[in-house]
Amino acid sequence: MLPDFASVSPETKADALAYLASLDDVRVIAGGTDLLVNMKRGELCSNVVDIMNIEELRLLSGDGTDIAIGPAITHAAISAAAMLNDLAGSLSAACGWIGSPQIRNMGTIGGNLANASPAADLIPPLLIHDTVLKIESQEGKREERLDDFIVAPYETSLKPHELLTWVCIKGLPGYREGYRRIARRAAWAISRLSVAWAVREDGDRFVDVKLAIGSCTPMPFRPRNVEKFLGGRKKDDHTIGEAAALVVEEIRRITGDRPSFAYKLPVVKGLVQKALRG
Amino acid sequence: MYIGNEMNRIDALDKVLGRPVYAEDLSAKGALFGCIFRSTRPHAFIRRIDTRAAMASPGIVKVLSCHDIPGENLFGIIKKDQPYLAQDRVRCIGEPVLIVLGETEEAARKALQLIEVEYEDAEVVSDPFLSEDSTALIHDKGNLLSRRKVIKGDIEKGFKEADVIVEHTYSTSWLDHAFMETESGVGYPDSKGRIVVISSTQNIHYKQKEISRLLAVPEEKIKVVQATTGGGFGGKLDVTVEGFIALSVHHTRRPVVMRFTREESFLSNTKRHPLYIEYKTGARKDGIITAVKVGITGDTGPFASYGETVCLRAALHATGPYEVPNVHVDSRMFYTNNPVSGAMRGFGIPQLAFAHESQMDEVALMLKMDPFDIRMMNALKKGSLTATSQVLQNSVGIIETLRKVEPYWRKRSKKEDRAGFGLGCMYYGIGNTGVSNPANACLNITGDGKIALHTGACEIGQGSDTTLVQILQETLGLKIEDIVLVRGDTDTSKDAGSSSASRQTYISGGAVFDAALKMRQYLDEKGFYKGRPIREIYASEADKKLLEHNGFFDPPTTPVDPETSKGSPYATYAFATHMTEVEVEPETGCCTVKRVYAAHDVGRAINLKNVRGQIYGGIAMGVGFALMEEFVPGKSESFDNYYMPTSMDMPDVEVFVVEDREPTGPFGAKGVGEPALIPQAASIVNAIKDATGVRPFELPCHIERLKMLLEKAKG
Amino acid sequence: MKIVSFALNGKKVSCEVQDRELLLHALRERFSIKSVKEGCGIGECGTCTVLIDNEPHYSCLTLASKVDGHDVKTVEYLGDAGLLHPLQKAFIEAGAVQCGYCTPGMLLSAYSLLMKNENPSDSEIREAISGNLCRCTGYIQIVEAIRDAAGLCKCKP
Repeated sequence: MLPDFASVSPETKADALAYLASLDDVRVIAGGTDLLVNMKRGELCSNVVDIMNIEELRLLSGDGTDIAIGPAITHAAISAAAMLNDLAGSLSAACGWIGSPQIRNMGTIGGNLANASPAADLIPPLLIHDTVLKIESQEGKREERLDDFIVAPYETSLKPHELLTWVCIKGLPGYREGYRRIARRAAWAISRLSVAWAVREDGDRFVDVKLAIGSCTPMPFRPRNVEKFLGGRKKDDHTIGEAAALVVEEIRRITGDRPSFAYKLPVVKGLVQKALRG
Repeated sequence: MYIGNEMNRIDALDKVLGRPVYAEDLSAKGALFGCIFRSTRPHAFIRRIDTRAAMASPGIVKVLSCHDIPGENLFGIIKKDQPYLAQDRVRCIGEPVLIVLGETEEAARKALQLIEVEYEDAEVVSDPFLSEDSTALIHDKGNLLSRRKVIKGDIEKGFKEADVIVEHTYSTSWLDHAFMETESGVGYPDSKGRIVVISSTQNIHYKQKEISRLLAVPEEKIKVVQATTGGGFGGKLDVTVEGFIALSVHHTRRPVVMRFTREESFLSNTKRHPLYIEYKTGARKDGIITAVKVGITGDTGPFASYGETVCLRAALHATGPYEVPNVHVDSRMFYTNNPVSGAMRGFGIPQLAFAHESQMDEVALMLKMDPFDIRMMNALKKGSLTATSQVLQNSVGIIETLRKVEPYWRKRSKKEDRAGFGLGCMYYGIGNTGVSNPANACLNITGDGKIALHTGACEIGQGSDTTLVQILQETLGLKIEDIVLVRGDTDTSKDAGSSSASRQTYISGGAVFDAALKMRQYLDEKGFYKGRPIREIYASEADKKLLEHNGFFDPPTTPVDPETSKGSPYATYAFATHMTEVEVEPETGCCTVKRVYAAHDVGRAINLKNVRGQIYGGIAMGVGFALMEEFVPGKSESFDNYYMPTSMDMPDVEVFVVEDREPTGPFGAKGVGEPALIPQAASIVNAIKDATGVRPFELPCHIERLKMLLEKAKG
Repeated sequence: MKIVSFALNGKKVSCEVQDRELLLHALRERFSIKSVKEGCGIGECGTCTVLIDNEPHYSCLTLASKVDGHDVKTVEYLGDAGLLHPLQKAFIEAGAVQCGYCTPGMLLSAYSLLMKNENPSDSEIREAISGNLCRCTGYIQIVEAIRDAAGLCKCKP
């Protein structure tokens, strides 16, 4: 049973922004798979704006490698979109793994971002696609890099009257992409650890490598120093081993030591090596 | 003709249509909703309870405490030591303190938040090893609930004869039954002045007795009906909602509905006992086991529930399905302030199978023997003496189950380094341990020419209704249309005992068979088998009492000796061998169970489809037990942090049914419900060792534990 | 309160719901559809599964107001005792039903799969029902049933 609240279901973005500007103690609901669970467990709010009826938030458009994804698009729709399969394979893969079929039919990319869980499946692939978020309110528009959007675990820069309107990513043609999540069961489980990668190779050399690690640090992150280290290097066991060690070092630098690292760090090492080897 | 086939379950049609009425689907006009206020402390004295704000909250009708109990505020299957509502002190988190009755669920749940209790914390006993000597007494007579020994032969001599000795310690964690339907029920006063409780349960007659003691009214004043039940696995054997509902109806004379949320179910339902098992095995060079010494320490939480049963059953089955001449088992069960543990599919034996099967593999390794051969060599057979010195005379199918998987074992080959194969064997005594545990069944001829079967056996999803009907059909040679099943109601049936200990096919089946034989003779005398219709027989019978035939079966057992456990605690045993293939990813610690070959001696499969269903379900639970399921007090709240296997975690399974018939069982049947689960985790663990070279000694061996073991082995 | 109008098992219906009301409760209480079960209330068990526009959703995490203008199906849509859907028949025949509590949701996930994929592989079947927990059956006979039914039925929207 949910606590009491009033809900509105606007059909245009303008109406949604108007509601967000005028209503007190308001939350945006899309798929509801995170918000309603939190509310059942005691989170309160007076007003809810349901954005799932807003057509313009469910569009997917591409212009070359610039892809704009509507925040109210479900995980199922993303994983089925051919354009994303071609240009953002790690994102497609993550959307095919998150939750269960039902959750994938309900949950949205915007919701996964706004919830900002350290274990969010979509964030590592979005990081390697240099995601920029477009945010609007009645006062105006702003853009923010995903790296800056998430300010702390479960906390974003989004203000109560603001609405995420586009998730803009850079497609990566010619990259070998993937997403791997580790969990305690084969499906429908929170990631204990995740790695997203996009690798461009030229024969036995790394040309460009993008990596992102989830569920290890307070926020999923890209070890950019490692990416830089790999650029142009020979693809051999030595380089790969060194890169994996650097990733682990970077995690330690961000978080210090944690009890869970006894497990996580050797696994990250193994997964990064696997990803780089292909 | 009617048994041994693939007959469809008689309840399946309703279930695929979504029509069955579970307790939560019942609605009574004007019903109150009852919620439980629970302890937030593991061990504390209650100094003050303030319910004024709750009582003043809109829609609240009553708040009941232990002082409102007219009869005895204690229940328990063996030892009555668990209060319905805490009296003066609480002994675990989640212990019920008050019942809040509201006009709606929302009103009642809101009022819960307004109750204030002042506690004075007491010393907490959280470790069973420290429990015995703790000055904090959970019960007046001390913190040891039960201690049982199994002594056979001369243990010292046995180890002297051994060429190799393997000694290890194993431990397991709490598990939740995770039945899909949470505990729920409805109660109301009926027109005869009785209290009726309809609930999700595994045992209606036991519940009737407990409610009668709770309210201090005769049993006839209480009627208990089983609603369609969404799974049990042992978790609906203890009184769950029934006592609270009956007490609430008693005080309000209004219908009352109760339904635990999933979070409440996780918090309050009994768990599988965590066991610590110190296991020492001695064997000769040729592979013959000479001695087994086992120390078992268990944690039952603050109340007995089925702790004594688990303590005893774990001890009796500690050697596994092998003939061991010298045995010494010391099994102790302690009270703690941890979650209440109780009955869960297998009563401690899945835990023991993990230990004894790991030991078998380790002995084989030391002797450079094939794990299959060492099992075959030591397996029980006709004439063998069990650990309790019971002579097995019939239906000893362990060797046959081994033979069924032997071809797959012999030709196993690792396609990849990371693959591994493991065996797990088990035996399991059917029915309750060394005590009378009868079932009744009653047949009568109805006016419209049918045979009505009255049974108190609870169908909890395992298929007992179908099995019992098939036994009846086979005995009488009747079509399904000629049979009416009247079940799950204390008004219309006599006690059939609980749906537990894999006993309903064997024991209730035996009672149905007994009644059916009498009915067959009667029908024969009346000319039915020469073509006279039943309707006519009914009409012509002047004394309608003669139309009724009662059946009874109580398996022949003897009590076990209190010091040595010598005796014949079970009339028959089920046997099984599982062979499991896993694949372990060394980088991550992920273990995938690929394939299982499961061979079970069930005596006789009354319904093959149901037998297979039990085995598949048991394997799923075994996968969970081995690899992912772990109830962590304070952390595991619901299915988002208690993982049980999904369809994608389930291996492919090949089932082999061995039918070494049990002469005392109906058409030779024994049982399969618990045996299906028992060897599975063991076979997974052995397969992990085969794949990786490391052996897990703690379950579940989830990804983190397995990876840490692999890292440690790397050095 | 809000008026929602939607198709429920092929029939147009309309009712007033609270803003915070969940589809699960609306179906059980306002339409007496008790086949939709609340196993956990947080979208982690699948017993409350319904089809919205032919795709499985958890009704315990779906606000009733969300189905306005949409199509909702529960197991009652599939068939009745006189005319069972091939999937229902296959569930009975394969022994895919034990306690029955997960069965309606399981059938709906299967139905949705067969609507999109007439000839699914075992791994596709397993994936399609991976959002529905079952504690009794170990899923094997459920997968068998769906495979058996796949050839026999046209699961049309």
